[in-house]
Amino acid sequence: MRANKLLLLVASAVSLALLVGAALEENVFRGWRRLQRDYRERLPDPSAFRVQLRQVVVPRLQATDRCISCHLGMAPGETAIAGHPAFGVHPEVVHDPSEFGCTVCHGGQGRATLEDDAHGRVPFWPEPMIPIRYAYAGCGTCHTHLAVANLDALERGRRAFERLDCLTCHALDGRGGTLRPGAATLATGPDLSRAGASGYDADWYGKHLARSRAGEPGGWRESFGPIPQEELEALRVFLDSRVGAPGLVEAKALFHSLGCRGCHKVGGVGGDDGPDLTAAGQKDPGRLDFSRVPGERSLAAWLAEHFRSPAAVTPGSLMPVLGLGEEEIDRLVFYTLSLRRSEVPEAFWPKDRIRAERFGEREFATDGATLYGTFCAACHGRRGEGMRYPGMPPFPAIGNPDFLALAPDAFIEETVRRGRPGRRMPAWGEKEGGLRAQEVRSVVAHVRSLGGGIAPAPDARPARWLRGDAREGERLYASHCASCHGAKGEGREGPALDNAVFLSSATDTYLVETIRRGRSGTSMPAFGRSTPTSPQLADSEIEAIASFIRTWEVRR
Amino acid sequence: MTTKPLPVPPARSRLEAEPLPRRDFLGLAAGWTAGSALLFSIVGMLRLPKAAVIPAPSSRFRVSLPDSLAPGTAFLPPGRPVAIFREASGVYAISTVCTHLGCIVQAAPDGFRCPCHGSMFARDGSVVRGPAPKPLPWLEVRKTGSGLYVVDAKKTVPPGTTETA
Amino acid sequence: MSGDAASGRTATSRFLENLRSTPRRLRDTAFRSGAPVTDRSRSSFVFGNVFLHLHAVRVHRWSLRWATTWGLGVVTLAAFLITLVTGVLLMFYYKPYPDVAYDSIKDIHFVVPTGRFMRNIHRWAANVMVVTVIAHMARVFYTASYRPPREFNWVVGMGLLVVTLGLSFTGYLLPWDQLAYWAITIGANIAQSPREVTDALGITHWFDPGGLQKLLLLGSEDVGEEALIRFHLLHVMILPLALTALLAVHFWRVRKDGGLARPADAERRLGPPEASIFPVFTEAPQKTYHLAAVVRGRTPAVGDGPEHTLPAMPHLFYAEAGVFMLTVAVCLVLSLVSDAPLKELANPAVPENPAKAPWYFLGIQELVSFSAFMGGIGIPAIVLLGLGLIPYLDRETEGTGDWFGGRGGLAVVLHAAAFGLDAVLAVEAFAIRFGWIRQWWPAAPQLLITAVNPGTVIAALYAAYSLWTMRRHDSTRAGALALFTCFLCGFVVLTVIGTYFRGPNWEFYWSPAQWPGH
Repeated sequence: MRANKLLLLVASAVSLALLVGAALEENVFRGWRRLQRDYRERLPDPSAFRVQLRQVVVPRLQATDRCISCHLGMAPGETAIAGHPAFGVHPEVVHDPSEFGCTVCHGGQGRATLEDDAHGRVPFWPEPMIPIRYAYAGCGTCHTHLAVANLDALERGRRAFERLDCLTCHALDGRGGTLRPGAATLATGPDLSRAGASGYDADWYGKHLARSRAGEPGGWRESFGPIPQEELEALRVFLDSRVGAPGLVEAKALFHSLGCRGCHKVGGVGGDDGPDLTAAGQKDPGRLDFSRVPGERSLAAWLAEHFRSPAAVTPGSLMPVLGLGEEEIDRLVFYTLSLRRSEVPEAFWPKDRIRAERFGEREFATDGATLYGTFCAACHGRRGEGMRYPGMPPFPAIGNPDFLALAPDAFIEETVRRGRPGRRMPAWGEKEGGLRAQEVRSVVAHVRSLGGGIAPAPDARPARWLRGDAREGERLYASHCASCHGAKGEGREGPALDNAVFLSSATDTYLVETIRRGRSGTSMPAFGRSTPTSPQLADSEIEAIASFIRTWEVRR
Repeated sequence: MTTKPLPVPPARSRLEAEPLPRRDFLGLAAGWTAGSALLFSIVGMLRLPKAAVIPAPSSRFRVSLPDSLAPGTAFLPPGRPVAIFREASGVYAISTVCTHLGCIVQAAPDGFRCPCHGSMFARDGSVVRGPAPKPLPWLEVRKTGSGLYVVDAKKTVPPGTTETA
Repeated sequence: MSGDAASGRTATSRFLENLRSTPRRLRDTAFRSGAPVTDRSRSSFVFGNVFLHLHAVRVHRWSLRWATTWGLGVVTLAAFLITLVTGVLLMFYYKPYPDVAYDSIKDIHFVVPTGRFMRNIHRWAANVMVVTVIAHMARVFYTASYRPPREFNWVVGMGLLVVTLGLSFTGYLLPWDQLAYWAITIGANIAQSPREVTDALGITHWFDPGGLQKLLLLGSEDVGEEALIRFHLLHVMILPLALTALLAVHFWRVRKDGGLARPADAERRLGPPEASIFPVFTEAPQKTYHLAAVVRGRTPAVGDGPEHTLPAMPHLFYAEAGVFMLTVAVCLVLSLVSDAPLKELANPAVPENPAKAPWYFLGIQELVSFSAFMGGIGIPAIVLLGLGLIPYLDRETEGTGDWFGGRGGLAVVLHAAAFGLDAVLAVEAFAIRFGWIRQWWPAAPQLLITAVNPGTVIAALYAAYSLWTMRRHDSTRAGALALFTCFLCGFVVLTVIGTYFRGPNWEFYWSPAQWPGH
C-alpha cells in the first residue's frame, strides 16, 4: 500500500506541476500576451486597454484574422506606436483592413495566434505570408490589372514624368507634391499614385495649358508648358499604370516584355508549352522540391532560383536559361507571387477582374510592341534577333532586314496566325488563348518596324510561277541545303521547309529570293553570289531547288 | 437458510472497529495532491467553454440613405437591427434591439413597438410603456467622403448626437 | 401529533433547528454509513456507493501485487475516462462539417482557452488507450487468465479491443486535414476490399458486401460531408455507448468471476502478511455457503474464504488512484511535448504521398499493400477469430494466474518470439527484395494473389508453427502461447515497417531522409 501511495503522490505531484506549467504558458507567457502587455505600458492610459485576443472577421471572404492581436497599431480603435516593428500603423491603402481582413492580401494563417504559425512559416500551411517587399503581390488575389504596357513604354513614361517635373505639384507613391515654387500658398495638385485606377480627366493637358497660358497664380506659368505629343503619349501610358501598386505593374510589364506568354498561359491566354501560371503564386512551399535551392525554403527563393536556372531546380524542365539579371529576376518573382486569383466571391471582384474574366479584356496593352513582348520575345528575341537555347533548334531572327525585305505582310500574318504545325511556333490566330485578328495585325506591324520599316517591293508575279526542274533541284538540295534544313526539309540548324503552313503561305518569289540573297547575320548564305562557304548558283539552279521544295507541298 | 451461531470473535478481527492510523502522512499527502491536481484540471476545463474571441463579424456597415427619406420616417437597412432617421438637425441611428429581452422592435408611426412583450418606445428611443428598463441606445454614425454613412452597431453615443446630413 | 410538538417547542423553533442541522443531515443522508474510518464502515461505504460498488469489498493480496497486472486494465479505463472528458469538452467547439471542421480545429488549437492542450490530451490518451488495451490483452493471455470461469470475459475484451480501434479510427477523420482525408479514404477502400474476391469470381453484380460496407461507412462514393457526419456520429455517440456497455459487462464479469485470476497456491507463495498491513483476514472460514447449493453452476467464491484478502478501501483504491494519476501524468507529459498533428486542409485532388493510416493500422496497411481483401479483412478476421477462440480451445488448468504459466512456459514464448520475428522479417525481406507473383507473372489471376501473398504466408507459417509446438509439448496451452506470441511479433514488425520504412508510393526506404524530394 505504501508503494501505491507513493505512486499516487508522485504521479499527482507531476500532474499538478504540469498543469500549473501549462496554465502559466497559456495565460502568462504566450507571445501575444507579452506583446500586449508591452503595448499597454506604452499607452498614455494603460487602464483602458484590455489584454485579449482581437480579430477581424469577414465571413464572406472566409477571413478570421487575428493578426491584430499582435499588430495592435492596425487594430480598429487602437493607437499605433510609430517606429515599433509590431505596433506601427498600416500604410494607407484603398482597402480598409477592418473590412477586408489581413490574409486576403498578405497570405499567412489568420486564425493562428503564434508568430510562426500566423506568418505561415510552419509545415502544413500552404500559404505563407507574402514577403513584405513583395507585399503588393497580394493585389493579385483579386485584381487583374488591365492593359499593362511593356516595360520600355512604361519606363519611357516614367522618365517623361520625372523630366517634366510633374512631381513638383503632384505626389506619386509618397514622393513629390510638396511645394509649388512661386506659389502664394503651398497648394498641391492631386496625388497621382492611383490615377490609373480612379481615373483622371482625359483633357488634363488642355486644361493645364490653358491655366498656364492664363498665368493663373500658384506658379502655373513657371511650372507648366507645352509637352510634345510623343511625351504626352508616354505620360498617358505611365498614368494609366498608376493603380496604387508600386512595383507590381513594372513587374507585370517585364513579364509582358520577355515573351513569357509565348509558352505559359495566365488567365487562359498564352502558349501551352509551359505550365499554366494562373495560380503560380499560390504554390505550396511544402510541396516544392527545395533539394537544389540554396537558402531559405520560401516560394520566393524557389522562384528566383528557378528563374536563374530552371532545369537545375526542376529536373526535366524545358524552360531555357533566360540569362536575366538579378533585378529582372526579382521583378519576375514579384509578378509570379501576384498570380493568386483566389476564389473570392464575385461580389468582391474588382472591375478590372470582371472585365478580364467576364468580358475578355486583355491584361496587356494591345499595341504591337507590347504584344510582341508578351508572346514573341522569348523565342525571337526582344529585338527580333532570334534566340538559341541549348537543346532546341534555333529560333528564326524575324527582325532580320533581309527577311523583312522579302516577306510580305500577308506572309508574316499567315505565319503568326497559323504557326508552324509540328514545330514550336503555335498557331496564334487559331489556338485557344491566342491572338485576335486585330492583334495579329499589330504584331505584324511591329515585326515590320523591327527591321526599320523595310517592306518588299511589290511582286507582280503570281504566288506560284516556278517551272524549275525538281529532279535537278533534289540533287542540288541534297548538296547545298540538306545539311542545315534536313534531308527531307524537316529542319535542323535552319528552319523546317517541309511545313504545310510555310509552303502554303510562302510565295515562289519568296523562296527563290531567299535562296538568292540569303540572310545576312545568319548561317544562310546568299547562293546568288559566290561566298567562301558556298559556290554561286545559277538562277535556273535556284529555281530548281525551289521547285523541289514545292514538291513537298504537292505531295500532300 | 440456517447459520451456525458465530463463535466469539478473536482478538483481531475485521469486524472490529479499527481506525486508520492517526498520522498517515503519506496517504494524506497523496490524497490531497491528487485532489488538487484534479481540482486544478477541472478549473481548466471550466475555462474552456468561455470563448476567448466572439466569432462575430464587424458591426460597422455602410449605408446610403434614399433621397426620398422623409423626416420622421425610419430607414431600416436590411439585415441590420438599426433604424436611421434624417431630420433637420442631422442624421442619427437608433438600435432596434429591445432593451427588455432582445427582440427586434418594429417601427410604428409614433415610434417603436416591441412584438414580444409590448414595450413601446418614442422616436428618440425613450421608453413610453412596457417592461423595457432602458431607452433604445443611439448609435455612432459617421459620414464618409462619398456621401455614404457608416454606422457602428456596437458603439453607442449619447441620445441627441447627430451627424450632419 | 409528534413528540416535538408535545414537548412544547413551537414549529418555528423546530424549523430553525432543522435548518441548522441541514448541512449535517445532508452529509449523513448522502453517505449513510458514516465516515469510512473503520473496516466495517469502509466496507459499507464501498457497497453503499453506486460508483464504488463495482469493487469487491475485499480484494485478495495477490491481486494487489504490481506484477500481477501492471495496472494495465486500469490504465486503459483511465485513458478512456480522459478521452471521454476531453472529448466532451472539444465538442463545445468542433463543427462536424467539411467547410468548417478544419477551421474549428484551428480555432481549438489557437484561441480556445486550454483548447490546444485538451486536444493534445485527447489524442494522446487515445493512443495510450490503444497501446494499453493491447498490452492488457497480452497480460491476460500470458497469465492464462482467460481460463474458466473467465472465458466469456475474454471475448468481451476482444469486443472492447475492436471498439477501441474503431473509436480511434473514426476520430481520425474529424480534423478534416490531408492526413485524415487520405487515411479514411484508404480505410473506406479496405472496407470495400471484399470486391477483390467478388470481382475475381465475377459475382459483384449480385453480391457486393464490400461496396455495401463502404457505402454504409461513407454514405457516399467518396469521403465527403456524409462521411464526416457518420464518422462524427460513430465517434461521439455510437461507439462510446457501445464501449460503455461492453465495459459494464466486462467489469461485472470480473466481479462475478471472482476477481483476478490467481495461482492455486497464491497464499502459500505470498507467505504471511507483513505485520504492518492491517487488517488482513487470516482466520479460518467461519461461514458456510448454503446459498450456493441452490444456485446452479459453479460459484467461484465457494470454498474461497476471505483469507488473505484486504479491504478494497483503502488498499485497492490507492492502487487504482495511483495508476489513474500516473496515466494522467503520462498523457500530460506527451501533450506538452508533442502537439496532435494537423496538416493542410483536406484536398481531394492532391493525395498525400505516402498516405498513411493511423499507426496501429499500419501493420494492416502493410498487408493491404499485398492484397486489399486479405490484408484488410481476411487476416484481421482470422486473427480476431483465433484470439477469441483461445479460451475455448485451451482448457488446461496448469499455470493459471502465472506469467507465462502453462506447459512449456517462457521457453515456448521465447522460441515463438524468435520464430515469429524471423518469419515475418524473412517474408517481408523477400517481398521487398524480389517482389511478389504479379511482378513475375503479370497475368496471374487475382484469386491466386489473394490466397497466396506475404500476409497469408506469414499467417500460415504462424499457424503451422503453433500446431507443431502444440504437438511437441502435447499441450494446447503451449500451442496458444506460440500462436499469440507469433501474432504479437507479426503485429509489431509489420507496424514498424509500415510506420518507419515505407515512403512515397509505399516503397521501402531505410529512413524518411531518403524519400525523394525532401
